[in-house]
Amino acid sequence: MGRLLLLAGVILIPLTALILLLKRRVRIMAERYRQTPGRFPSPKGILMFLLPLPVLIAAVVSLAHGSLDGLLGNAAGYGLFLAGALLLRRGLLTEAEYGRRRVARAPWPLKTLGGSVIALATGITAWFGAGQHPAIAVAFGLAALLGCYLSYGFDPRVAKRFTDRDGVDVTDRVLEALTQAEASIAAIEQSTRNIRNAELNSRLRRIVAQARQILTMLEEDPRDLRRARKFLNVYLDGAKQVTEGYAKTHARVVAPELEDNFRRVLATIEDVFQEQQQKLLETDVTDLDVQIEVLTTQLKREGVI
Amino acid sequence: MPDFLRKFIGLLLIFAAVGVASCQALVASCSSGAAPVPTVGAPR
Repeated sequence: MGRLLLLAGVILIPLTALILLLKRRVRIMAERYRQTPGRFPSPKGILMFLLPLPVLIAAVVSLAHGSLDGLLGNAAGYGLFLAGALLLRRGLLTEAEYGRRRVARAPWPLKTLGGSVIALATGITAWFGAGQHPAIAVAFGLAALLGCYLSYGFDPRVAKRFTDRDGVDVTDRVLEALTQAEASIAAIEQSTRNIRNAELNSRLRRIVAQARQILTMLEEDPRDLRRARKFLNVYLDGAKQVTEGYAKTHARVVAPELEDNFRRVLATIEDVFQEQQQKLLETDVTDLDVQIEVLTTQLKREGVI
Repeated sequence: MPDFLRKFIGLLLIFAAVGVASCQALVASCSSGAAPVPTVGAPR
């Protein structure tokens, strides 16, 4: 048994170091070619789904052997492992979203909760599944909790607040506007599924993609929100209402002129969204120009250039 | 503590706690059911 543990240690330590090095290398490479961060299905927290798989097998083996104690202990342990892994993964994704945004509320402590559930699962598995002494099972649980904390960290606790030029805290207003816009985009996507016309569907998909890009720009720099108010309140809401209306009506009424009108409206919306995006980009360029000019003036004044 | 080292130690602890407990549970469940299966018509 001692030799087996030593062998496991000798294999596990270089393997863990190798995994970390590879992960780091892939992240550096990915950052160079990244275009839309946060939109890929992330592999975060997958390890916690894979490591407890032997407990599932143990539960099946216990069932095959007719061992009720083993079955209950292993099944409870695996269930808790799964719940903990899901919470942890959700927490990691929420944290990534929090990190990406400039304005955000402090997320629910899902990572901490997930780590605690995993620690409980480890203790239960060690006690009921592996038949360890309760004190040793507690030590297993504590080691798992410490491992989760060191590896994944605790959840962010501070909200990222945003104040406008007058010094007024507008965090809630910004977040509400963004949530509403996200709901409108989701409603357009939902209505698109009920429209059975390939051309209109592809137009709507383009519109949704453009709207998401604009929303990402607004999330990254909420100062643009004032400039994009018309886009959020009039165009996006209008696009949602028109799409929902068409999706409901076109299945019941055959009217070619309705389709033509809808097509025309979609073309206009597409143009307006593109214009809005361009306007936001131009504002960014203007802001940067101003900053460069200010810096140049300062450097000249101090005799550096 | 450097970030890399912290994550390394964390992963080691996770492997040691979760991995070892899981594997022990599997070994225990396999060995607990290793009792001889009664055979029909075996010589008395």
